[in-house]
Amino acid sequence: MKHQHVEQVFVTFIRANKERFYLLAYSYTKNEQDALDTVQDSIQKALQSLHTLQNEEQLKSWFYKIVVRTAIDFLRKNKRIQVMDDEQLGFLSPPQNDTYENMDLEDALDTLPPAYREVIVLRYFEDLKIEDVAHILDANVNTVKSRIYKALKLLKIQLTKEELS
Amino acid sequence: MDKLKKLEEKYRNVPIPENLDAVVEASLKKGRKKRAPKWVLGATAAAALFTASLNMSPAMAKTLGEVPVLGSVIEVLTFVQYETDKDNYSAAIDVPQITGESDEIRALNEKYATEGKALYEQFQQDMKGMEQADGGHLGVDSGYIVATDTEQLLSIGRYVVETVGSSSTVMQYDTIDKQKEIILTLPSLFKDERYISVISDYVIGKMQEEMLATNQEKIYWVKGGGMPDEEVIDAFTSIRPDQNFYITEDHKLVIVFDKYEVAPGYMGVVEFEIPTELIKDLRMSDEYLK
Repeated sequence: MKHQHVEQVFVTFIRANKERFYLLAYSYTKNEQDALDTVQDSIQKALQSLHTLQNEEQLKSWFYKIVVRTAIDFLRKNKRIQVMDDEQLGFLSPPQNDTYENMDLEDALDTLPPAYREVIVLRYFEDLKIEDVAHILDANVNTVKSRIYKALKLLKIQLTKEELS
Repeated sequence: MDKLKKLEEKYRNVPIPENLDAVVEASLKKGRKKRAPKWVLGATAAAALFTASLNMSPAMAKTLGEVPVLGSVIEVLTFVQYETDKDNYSAAIDVPQITGESDEIRALNEKYATEGKALYEQFQQDMKGMEQADGGHLGVDSGYIVATDTEQLLSIGRYVVETVGSSSTVMQYDTIDKQKEIILTLPSLFKDERYISVISDYVIGKMQEEMLATNQEKIYWVKGGGMPDEEVIDAFTSIRPDQNFYITEDHKLVIVFDKYEVAPGYMGVVEFEIPTELIKDLRMSDEYLK
């Protein structure tokens, strides 16, 4: 009975938010077909492990995590990106003050390294709490905070201290 | 902050593909289907436990006996679904399962499961064959309908529609006495074999009547319906002793013929309700047919 209920909640949640999942997937894959595949795989993975979901409040961040992982897996398989740790990333990323200085705002997000882009997407566009973003990305809260901070800097966006936390 | 808004706008402005809906719905369906076996396992386990506790504790049996729903415990569920949808090939096969404890019902379920599986395997084989050749169209649609479901009776019809160019439809009914958990066969409803000729004569009469009344818009393979005799090849003369049938809610016997069996394809599956008056003396009892 309980299981059926969870499944019902899940189905409703998916139907109501499918566009958001697509956009999130698209922000990784940058391609329509791959984004659709990601959404499809994510739903199926989720249905198969629905029983691992502890409570309904976690549904959103739980499913986002699946989407993010599926999208990253997808990219990895297709070798479109290389996954780097923060150190490498810092080393390889262009110094923040010149390369991004004159970039077109329209493309700004796309030119951000994925690790910075995803925190912006999840925190500001998907309106998730820092804790949830950390959970989704399997990172600790401080890492997420510093990535957001750096991403905003790269985007040359000034936020007040309150907006940051 | 404005910048962030603009970025968000851009993020949201990615066009949503038209088929997102379809993809989402299909994965919701597929994902759930994959877990069906688990569910079936659970249901069987629960049923086993239920019987076990009935047997073990007379007190429990008694308590349950007083629960009115127990009488209607027999119902039809979808046991497995097979699905393939690939270019010109599609299969959708729903296999029913009847809940019930008797050996007869168990055997029936087994038959459903085996036939459903065989149908799907045959489809896959045919599909492979066609793919290796020049390709083609192939469709199998199989499922079931509940024709009657009363306190006493359950009639379910399983259909198979095979589409290769044109389509053929096979309908197979089973009727169950829910209280006794037994399967009713056509011969079991009658005292002796006289029902065969009585019903056949009635059906032939009905066919002729309909043909004449519609000026041969309806056609059956019988003589005497207004078609030249020489055009009626392989005329229908008699039902089979185990002809397909079901029993309606108001206890009428309905005789069923598959597509092509007694009429041209456009007539589809053909049914005739037999007036009980006609067969009342031939009945084994007035329990089922009234």
